[in-house]
Amino acid sequence: MDLATIGGQLLGTIPLGDIVLYLTPFNLFMFGGTLAFTTLIAISRTETQVEAEFGTLKDKEVKVNLEEFKIRRFLAIVCGLATAGAMITGDLFNFTLFVTLIGIVNIGIVSAVRQVDVLNAAFQYGLIAMMASLPLFGGAAVLLASTGTLSLLEIVKLPYVTSMMTFGSLLLLMGIIGETGVAPFYATKAEMFRTPGSPFILIIHLSSLLVIVRAIEVLLIINKPF
Amino acid sequence: MIVPVQVPELVVSLYPVAIWVGIITGLIGLLGISFQKNDLSVLILTDIVGVAMLIFVAGVATDLAEALILPGLVVELAEIMAISEILLSREIRKNNISGEDLVPTALPLNMEILKTAPTFIAVVLIAYGVFLSGFTGGVIAGGGILFYILSKSARGLPVELFEGLAGASGIAWVFWIVGFLLFFVGPPFWLLGLMLAAFGILIKVASKVGLIGILTREEFKKE
Amino acid sequence: MNIGRIWNSLANPRRIPRLFALILGLILLIGFFIPISLNDHQLYPRPTPQSQINDQNPLAPYDRGGSPFEETGIVRAQYPQNSIELGQITAYLTPIAIGVKDSTYYFGTSILSSPGGLIDEILYYTRGFDTILESSILMMAFVIASWVALHFTMKRDEEGDEKP
Repeated sequence: MDLATIGGQLLGTIPLGDIVLYLTPFNLFMFGGTLAFTTLIAISRTETQVEAEFGTLKDKEVKVNLEEFKIRRFLAIVCGLATAGAMITGDLFNFTLFVTLIGIVNIGIVSAVRQVDVLNAAFQYGLIAMMASLPLFGGAAVLLASTGTLSLLEIVKLPYVTSMMTFGSLLLLMGIIGETGVAPFYATKAEMFRTPGSPFILIIHLSSLLVIVRAIEVLLIINKPF
Repeated sequence: MIVPVQVPELVVSLYPVAIWVGIITGLIGLLGISFQKNDLSVLILTDIVGVAMLIFVAGVATDLAEALILPGLVVELAEIMAISEILLSREIRKNNISGEDLVPTALPLNMEILKTAPTFIAVVLIAYGVFLSGFTGGVIAGGGILFYILSKSARGLPVELFEGLAGASGIAWVFWIVGFLLFFVGPPFWLLGLMLAAFGILIKVASKVGLIGILTREEFKKE
Repeated sequence: MNIGRIWNSLANPRRIPRLFALILGLILLIGFFIPISLNDHQLYPRPTPQSQINDQNPLAPYDRGGSPFEETGIVRAQYPQNSIELGQITAYLTPIAIGVKDSTYYFGTSILSSPGGLIDEILYYTRGFDTILESSILMMAFVIASWVALHFTMKRDEEGDEKP
């Protein structure tokens, strides 16, 4: 198999020692898209939620104060950059580290809220993120043990797929499912959105979406179904 | 032959055993989590899952695996630090115990050494930490800072000191990045890059441990 | 039990970590039933355990040959062409480290981590990007923990807290 089967023509690489980032039209598009969205977030301001109160006719405004705004913007930008990095990295362990960074920053974006429900959801998501480090790093280690390399550019050249490699990629998939919170584990992340500060909350959503797309590419490269 | 071409036979024969041990460890932690009702116990049990992850990585038993253990360990530590703080915040908010302490009974640290020789011991620890350099040196120098801060009887959160130390940590992080880029931009200057990275991590780890000391003092030094 | 009831029970965040743990445990069990073997062509291989210690090598188990500034150590990296000065850091020892090495046989296993050596070569040079990400993760976790601590758990009953 060749890298071009999935991502298109290899446009170039960014060599940083053993870790080689590579650019194909597929991940270059996602990389650029993430950076553009991150820029939009960096220059925007938060929304104000209006909640109806029981018993009275008044509305309650849920605002984000300046300190909260600053820390959230900072974490949202870091989350955007980490997502952009995860799109173009060509090293398995590097990819898992990027995913972990996204996970912890996601918790951070909602950690500043005062609603108990949201804090509870963030805590439960944090538990999953901690457990997911076993399948993420463990899966990368199993793949390293069975192939002898962590570089995707080398793994794609291997002519064989062993059952151990499939086991490793299954673990990797489980880790990414945990960190991104796709079904059936969506409830924690869905609860986390119920907080003011809309554009910064959106990056949580976007990062999960792009990471899962990229993870599918990585899994296809490892398992070579065609 | 100092470095073998292939992995030694002994390591290859031990690898499946290592993986089985890792799987059993993971299962113990995961089953514990799935039956446990208490949130705090679940948080502590996730550490066992982290240990299983370290066994998976260590089983490969090359120098690369040894280098990969460090990120794994640090990620576990970092996440447990952030998540436990969120758990604290949630519990305070849920019970709405404004003004009440996290540690209900006072924990007086009435050790004589805290009054007689704090500065000397702190200086010795920091000097030894700088001599060691790297990650271990950072932890020891940070231990010196932590000891010095704990021994001070002052109360209240020194926000300026906190921000200053945090700033030093950030600058050390930038040193590290510069050192890393120097390896690729100017390969002949690898020695400078190495020194920037090694002492960047020293200052970074030491200041982090010191900051944790400032945070914990607030809870433990109240009579 | 109908499917709607199952979906409803999944909407409770408290159940999700438990469910995740259970499913992950089931997947880990697969590991007992597949053939597991270590590929013996690994990057950065290390010598047989204990062999360097039995040779009374003070750098054991991290001796990879070479001498500072003169001869590079032996490092089997993935892409040697991307790391031009490969092996220089492995061979490098600070003057302090040379002094310690000459006085004891246990330099390699002590906590003295002077700049230079094989692990530093991997951590700072060939896989330096991993270490940068790792320290960023630590920094972000610290930012979150200290921010929450400074603003909520330490400073309670602020004006921002709305009473329920």
